[in-house]
Amino acid sequence: MPLINFTTREITCKIVYYGPGRSGKTTNLQYIFDRVPEGRRGRMVSLATRADRTLFFDFLPLDLGQISGFATRFQLYTVPGQVYYDATRRLVLQGADGVVFVADSQARQLDENIESLQNLQANLLGQGVDVRGLPMVIQYNKQDLPPDLVLAPAELDRALNFRGVPTVSADALVGRGVFETLKAVSGLVLKRLSEDSTA
Amino acid sequence: MRNTRAVEAWTIGPLEHFVGQAGARLVLIMTPAGQVMAQYGFARAVDVMTAAALGAGIVASSSEIASMLGQPPFAALGHRGTHHGIVLSSFDSPRGRLLVLVVYGVETSLGLVQLFLGTLVDDLAAACPVPESRGPVLAVNFENELNRSLDALFGQ
Repeated sequence: MPLINFTTREITCKIVYYGPGRSGKTTNLQYIFDRVPEGRRGRMVSLATRADRTLFFDFLPLDLGQISGFATRFQLYTVPGQVYYDATRRLVLQGADGVVFVADSQARQLDENIESLQNLQANLLGQGVDVRGLPMVIQYNKQDLPPDLVLAPAELDRALNFRGVPTVSADALVGRGVFETLKAVSGLVLKRLSEDSTA
Repeated sequence: MRNTRAVEAWTIGPLEHFVGQAGARLVLIMTPAGQVMAQYGFARAVDVMTAAALGAGIVASSSEIASMLGQPPFAALGHRGTHHGIVLSSFDSPRGRLLVLVVYGVETSLGLVQLFLGTLVDDLAAACPVPESRGPVLAVNFENELNRSLDALFGQ
């Protein structure tokens, strides 16, 4: 659940960028960090290896400003995508209010995408969270690559999007789709918060 | 104390008492997911969130190592640097498991911080009220405000 401070009227939400290794999760956060004014974001922390592969997580706090009279802040995390870092993925996933699944659109990466999505479901289930109830957006990244190398969004939908969640085509390196993805998941998280509080 | 901020007011008394007794420079009380419940000493909210994320990560990973060793989570972890030291501790409260991150300087000691950390945990448990239900949080039309905020954030 998002943390809500009724006294100072603040909301803090945790969003986790999940997906296979090298799908572009850190690139998404790096682009957001570069584009958001300094006063509205904190330092981007990357716990990475010497080769710049995410070891534990990347973290970027964002200040969205006032929404419905609440100062709203988002904490963006990425998980390490490589298969053998599953233990740290589970830790980062704890308490997530929303997930962005960053899929690599390359045809040869389809199995990795499916494996990572199954891993996400298993890790959420291990924490007592039903993936069907968690706000989620799938980003089809690297859609800028030559058509013979990537799967079209409709093909990726059939393989990955059995829940029918919102999807965004992206080229995170140049920022295409990055903002739309954040906007989509933010809306879902806050909408759920709104529904939960009126239930 | 000017620098104390809390998500829930009941944490303020125990926190300020601890800071006064232990001589801590910065203190964070947070959930295991890295959500801040109360803080003392930080200037910017985004810095607080970063410290909480890193502190929660340390506690989470060391707890996993403890689990692999077949023992309960470590009660406290400490690191001493040249100018500052940090202590991380986790404890159960009526609101579930909580973590404390303490940054201290040369004017106090690890022993003193750990001594009063126990008191802080007891004080928090005693002060914690039963959770109460709340009314609606966001207005029905919050999405327009969200979109405007995000557009402004990205300069669109």
